[in-house]
Amino acid sequence: MLYALMGIGLSIITGVLNIPNFAHGALFALGAYFLFTLIQLLGNFWLALLLAPLGVGLLGALIEYAGIRPLYKAGHDYQLLLTFGLSLIVTEGIIVVWSPVGMSQLPPPLLRGGVDLGITFYPKYRLFVMAAAALLVLGAWLFLEKTRYGAIMRAGIEDKEMVSLLGIDIHRLFTAAFALGCVLAGVAGALTAPIRGLNPWMGVDMLGIAFVVVALAGLGNLLGSIVAGLLLGVAQSLVALVWPEASVAVIFAVMAAVLLARPQGLFGIR
Amino acid sequence: MSRPWLGILAAVFLLPVFVRHTIATEIWIFAIFGLGLNLLMGYTGLLSFGQATFFGSAAYAAGYLLKYYGINIFLALALGIAVGAVGAALVGYLCVQRSGLYFIMLTFALNQLFYFTAYQWTTVTGGEDGMPGVPRPSALGLDIHPPLAYYAAVALLFLLSLWVMRRIVESPLGKILQSIRDNELRAEALGYDVPRMKLAAFVIGGAFSGLAGVLYAMLFGIVPLEAIGFVFSGNVVFATLIGGSGSLYGPVIGSFVFIWLSESVASMWARWPLLLGVAFVVVVLFFRGGVVEAWARFWTWRYAAR
Repeated sequence: MLYALMGIGLSIITGVLNIPNFAHGALFALGAYFLFTLIQLLGNFWLALLLAPLGVGLLGALIEYAGIRPLYKAGHDYQLLLTFGLSLIVTEGIIVVWSPVGMSQLPPPLLRGGVDLGITFYPKYRLFVMAAAALLVLGAWLFLEKTRYGAIMRAGIEDKEMVSLLGIDIHRLFTAAFALGCVLAGVAGALTAPIRGLNPWMGVDMLGIAFVVVALAGLGNLLGSIVAGLLLGVAQSLVALVWPEASVAVIFAVMAAVLLARPQGLFGIR
Repeated sequence: MSRPWLGILAAVFLLPVFVRHTIATEIWIFAIFGLGLNLLMGYTGLLSFGQATFFGSAAYAAGYLLKYYGINIFLALALGIAVGAVGAALVGYLCVQRSGLYFIMLTFALNQLFYFTAYQWTTVTGGEDGMPGVPRPSALGLDIHPPLAYYAAVALLFLLSLWVMRRIVESPLGKILQSIRDNELRAEALGYDVPRMKLAAFVIGGAFSGLAGVLYAMLFGIVPLEAIGFVFSGNVVFATLIGGSGSLYGPVIGSFVFIWLSESVASMWARWPLLLGVAFVVVVLFFRGGVVEAWARFWTWRYAAR
């Protein structure tokens, strides 16, 4: 589910802005660190969970406005270098501010411990993350499919020139899309923190996975991102049961298999 | 002999006088790495963000055999090139299925696959600690342990690589690759098998990366885990762009600037990648086109002023 969340966020950014966002993983990590600090400041998990992604989104809007906007015509190589540079800055910034040592964050008291599901004992917090991520994915999907802003965003993926001809401010659309993608990355990071703990490089493998999700799903295909995210998550957990060392490799094995069979991605048309 | 070649020859001779031999050697190794990427990025229009895959796996493979089986240095170099090329053939076959953004993301994702393999396969790679104790055997009875001797060997290989790359770029294959960069549809309409040509460029680029990887392992006597990591892939993209991609000598200048820059900031602050990130952003926002283009613009401006 978390993969789906990361995948949708990246898919919106890739689809609407047509840039490779290599800072997506670093923003994921930043979401987790924002949560950690906000909990210490406010003492309230739920408020922190709400504010941390918004902080990441705000930063995202700033990045788009100041950094990416001048580069839409510059070619992927420069966009890549910019977002890669930003990811270095964010990662190293985290080290400077929070120290390179990994930290752990407890789930809120309400969600500690586990529940007996009959067949197995399952930690409460993980159930919560699954439910929350599912709700967010559903929410994002509804937003994109059913609301006016969602429709504009999808139109932006299809044909940017037409959208701007219809009198919609394309720059504002781009900023909003980038910020939305960042919020989703921030939520995913914040939700992950109590499960896997925090370290400055936690976003790196997430970034690889998010790229795989987008590549599998097809260009700007949001439903595809959800399916691909779930597929990878399930494949990974199943392999982790029998051969834990291969659980990362299996993601790329799935990708290779899908790309050989369907080069355009699972749901891709082009 | 043309002017750039004279300049590079002069640099080869003068560099060890002014710079520490290890750094001077690293510059040429990185330049070989950049030459390989430049064939993809500058001449074919394929932005690979996973060149460290081939650099690292060649370094590990050759390093392992050098360490435990004491293989001949020429065998080690040949092996590195082969590992780079074969790795690139496998990765490239998957990646050329898609183009544009997807190509970039796939090269990166597969880079991550190799990284995690190296990270977990500790019995061979040493995982996070790297693979120390890679020897530097003598070549043709010459002892290349002194830094200057190794520098000379690397510089010679660099000049050879540059010459080979020039031949490739000016060959019919090189021209086809450039036509793909300029107009892929048209190249296809003219009857060229575009995916196969892209794959060929990818394999050649991988071979150059492999050579650079082995030289790097022998220079430092260790294969660090970073050698196969994505930051390394990003660094070589930066170095090539800063020099100016699509010109033969761009990556050479780029690697010069990059190694010099990273060595000088690395001694200033332990968190130097932060400064490096800032440098990336500044260059992208204000100095697009790289050194070669800035230089060319400077000359046209001077001629126009006359």
